Amino acid sequence: MEHGSITDVRSSTFSLMDEDHTLANSVRFTLNQDPRVEFCGYSIPHPSENRVNIRVQTTGDPAKEVFKDALQNLLVMSQHVRTTFDRAVQDYRAQPHNTIGSDGRL
Amino acid sequence: MDPQPEPVSYICGDCGGENTLKPGDVIQCRECGYRILYKKRTRRIVQYEAR
Amino acid sequence: MKKASVMDIPDVPKGQLPPHLELQRTRVLCGSDAPTHSEGIQYSGAYASMGIDNSLRLDDFCNKFRVEIIQLTEDEMEFDMIGIDASVANAFRRILIAEIPTMAIEKILMVNNTSVIADDVLSHRIGLIPLDVDPRLFEYLSGNDSPNERNTIVFKLHVSCKKSGPRITVKSDQLKWLPNGSELEMASPNPSAKPKSYTSFTCSQDSLPEFSNKPIGLKHEDIIVAKLGPGQEIELEAHAIKGLGKTHAKWSPVATAWYRMLPEVVLLEDVEGELAEELVKKCPVNVFEDIEDLATGKKKAVVANPRACTLCRECIRGEGWEERVAVRRVKDHFIFKIESTGALPPEVLFSEAVKVLEDKCDRVISELS
Repeated sequence: MEHGSITDVRSSTFSLMDEDHTLANSVRFTLNQDPRVEFCGYSIPHPSENRVNIRVQTTGDPAKEVFKDALQNLLVMSQHVRTTFDRAVQDYRAQPHNTIGSDGRL
Repeated sequence: MDPQPEPVSYICGDCGGENTLKPGDVIQCRECGYRILYKKRTRRIVQYEAR
Repeated sequence: MKKASVMDIPDVPKGQLPPHLELQRTRVLCGSDAPTHSEGIQYSGAYASMGIDNSLRLDDFCNKFRVEIIQLTEDEMEFDMIGIDASVANAFRRILIAEIPTMAIEKILMVNNTSVIADDVLSHRIGLIPLDVDPRLFEYLSGNDSPNERNTIVFKLHVSCKKSGPRITVKSDQLKWLPNGSELEMASPNPSAKPKSYTSFTCSQDSLPEFSNKPIGLKHEDIIVAKLGPGQEIELEAHAIKGLGKTHAKWSPVATAWYRMLPEVVLLEDVEGELAEELVKKCPVNVFEDIEDLATGKKKAVVANPRACTLCRECIRGEGWEERVAVRRVKDHFIFKIESTGALPPEVLFSEAVKVLEDKCDRVISELS
């Protein structure tokens, strides 16, 4: 869901259902690191409602595109974290003294 | 009223023995004479949420 | 920090922050009264006035991000995650605790319970027992679904204590898996109708390839469920379904998952002689060591094990110590610890957590397009 002004695409509030600080704070981080963003922030209007409002104001680009790019950046970051982590686990296991013994301990 | 009242079994509060009583019976344990009898727990299934 | 004249500050090479700003950006300074510079500098233009770009460059992140595994066992792991912002690290932690599905007992059908422990308390205790099942092999049981072999696991508990005998302890290994589903019949007002079961399994779960060589069981066999006195009995059926930790903690796949920033302890000046011995004694977790300086023959303090630092700040307590020792935390270096409850190994849990965050991003992106 998106609430923006019709005349000004540069600022929008995105209202996400079934999300919380987990996504909102991470996206706020990637938004903040985007030089096109003039202002961004998020709020949870009521604690018993599973909803976050994310506000994006840009220096000129459409807020929706900037927001989408921020999500895309977070996605790419996560994918990189996962491949790096999986490789680290593999490397750890490859070391001979780190294989799991019969008692489940190293 | 039901034509044949069903006997109900009770547990003696003293010796723990089982007693079957019909309406009109004396409320007393047949084994030890104790006068406090407890009703048995139902075996009807009760559903609980494990929370 | 010492006061210095502007004229004495050395020139800073272009494209680099002056050292004091770099310290504030990358470290939390733990003073004796309070931590300072604890915020993360996220804004892309934070250092624009100095001509330094603070915006996100993904290739830069990819080059700098590192994972180092410290310890990995069946149920526990510790690893270092280096070069990531706290907001993302925290997202992984939150997902690990609340948003990775597991199987847990949700419904208890109590046939008989004459023990001293009340039905609802017993049900709650049984619900918290961790199950040794891969939740990825199951589907969620939604409101209008009937419980079947793809979404429900059934356990039976039937124990009684002999009338003439000692009290017995009921442990979790008495819960027996029923691969064919519920054995109980629903009470129906119409006695001539065919009795209905509580589950509708189309086949036995142990005939399914994923469970035929690894039967469904419990993670621990020695969890005390109840105690029975002579003549007491418990008979019940427990139905486990898939769920999320945010609904109830029994579905949380971790006992706990947490991180801390890497401690950094720095000696700002040489600490020698009696002071060195005092410093070693001050620290309750033995971060410091005193070594004999061969040249002077005096004792000299060194930081031997900064990772053990718990930030108790004993070492900077007292007159003059804050000038000798600095306690800091590295803002982008996280010591992450995952303690699994046993359904999934910890390294799989972390991969799943990252996948959940990816799915969240995907969902919003596709909703916006």
